Amino acid sequence: MRIPPALRSYTDGQDEVVLEASNVAAMLHALDANFPGIRDRVVDEAGRRRPYVNVFVNEELIGASLPEAKLNPGDVVHILPSVAGG
Amino acid sequence: MARSIKKGSVVVAVGTKKGGFLFHSLDRRKWSVEGPFNAGGAVYHMTLDPRDGRTVYAAAPMGSEPWGPAVYRGRAGEAPKATKTAPKFKEGSDLSVSRVWHIEPGPSDAPETIYAGVEPAALFRSDDRGDTWHDVESLNYHPTRKDWQPGNGGLCLHSVLVDPKNPRHLMIGISAVGAFETRDGGRSWTTENRGVRAGFMPNQYPEWGQCVHKLAWDASGDGAIFQQNHCGTYHRGPDGGAWTEVTKGLPSEFGFPIAAHPEQKHTAFVTPLIGAENRVFPKGQMAVWKTTSSGKAWRSHTKGLPGPRAYLGVLREGMAVDAADPLGVYVGTNTGQLFASRDEGESWKMISDFLPPILSVSAGEAR
Repeated sequence: MRIPPALRSYTDGQDEVVLEASNVAAMLHALDANFPGIRDRVVDEAGRRRPYVNVFVNEELIGASLPEAKLNPGDVVHILPSVAGG
Repeated sequence: MARSIKKGSVVVAVGTKKGGFLFHSLDRRKWSVEGPFNAGGAVYHMTLDPRDGRTVYAAAPMGSEPWGPAVYRGRAGEAPKATKTAPKFKEGSDLSVSRVWHIEPGPSDAPETIYAGVEPAALFRSDDRGDTWHDVESLNYHPTRKDWQPGNGGLCLHSVLVDPKNPRHLMIGISAVGAFETRDGGRSWTTENRGVRAGFMPNQYPEWGQCVHKLAWDASGDGAIFQQNHCGTYHRGPDGGAWTEVTKGLPSEFGFPIAAHPEQKHTAFVTPLIGAENRVFPKGQMAVWKTTSSGKAWRSHTKGLPGPRAYLGVLREGMAVDAADPLGVYVGTNTGQLFASRDEGESWKMISDFLPPILSVSAGEAR
């Protein structure tokens, strides 16, 4: 998982974390187990992706719910803010 | 931020649309400034904890990006850092905290306790200086909640008063919902809006639904409270009961902040604006109005304040008092000026200009 600069305070500055998970939702839980609090930055209390936070698996934007976003070995998950402005 | 804030300094914490600033001064004539903290992102509220005179708490999103709300904590003069967790509802809730509006240090006998008022309206309590939070369910799922409706500023819980003599006694204010009070440490809450007008409702005196803008303790120490509302200014006596409207003598019933003198009974300050439809000072003249009689009479103070042709306003958290003698009063404008009075509001001096729009002002003494 690639960690955006704004969230690296949670990961002691690491920009990449290697995790095992079968889908993106599970990966976020695994990430939070290692770096408590970081999951709350990506999803809200209902587990919904926060507005203007995008999740990509490799180069594909995940539009479906996070538990439905399946992962395969070697996939790279990116968490990125939407571009602001217009 | 540098460690340059000397003990005994008055510290004025200013939250803006683009970061937070700490102004500090030993004599309240010459001011220094630290910041911005969270540069580029909003700081909705920032306050120096009066219990230790050192800890600064701030309510702000994580940076300028959409990573959700956060509470920051740090030593005055150093950049505060996000606490381990932010207030949030139970997992799986339909409710999601979108913004922390206000941080209120708790009672003096519980120095690690702080409260957070958030949007959508809810109260959270932390007993470890903001690292973990408790959802105050008795209020947050109050039977009236299903009918709460947001006002123009959102459905925000913005005022938290903790009785300095009785930590089990709190009053909170929610925009377009009203005031709630507990006298049993938060186990139960009552609506406390009798006598407060809701001019925008068919029934203008409902049990709740009033648009409270800000609450402040009267220094009487007996539980009396001032309120600035969307529809008037009010005072409630020490024994609770109905509020008394004290708008008469003011140029408008509409304003946002209200600040009370911490030592002098019956004394408070307001900044009336033209009205909800035009949120600037009447006649283009910025003015701070003061009462020393619980609102029975008001006097305008404009010396040193801009006007005529000054078209600006003050937001909900935009006014504060320190605890010095004579009292210092501070007002931040939505056009980025910070004004200070060191003579109990009689005269004013601008201590900073060209700040981003000011969202909050609080004041205290560094120790």
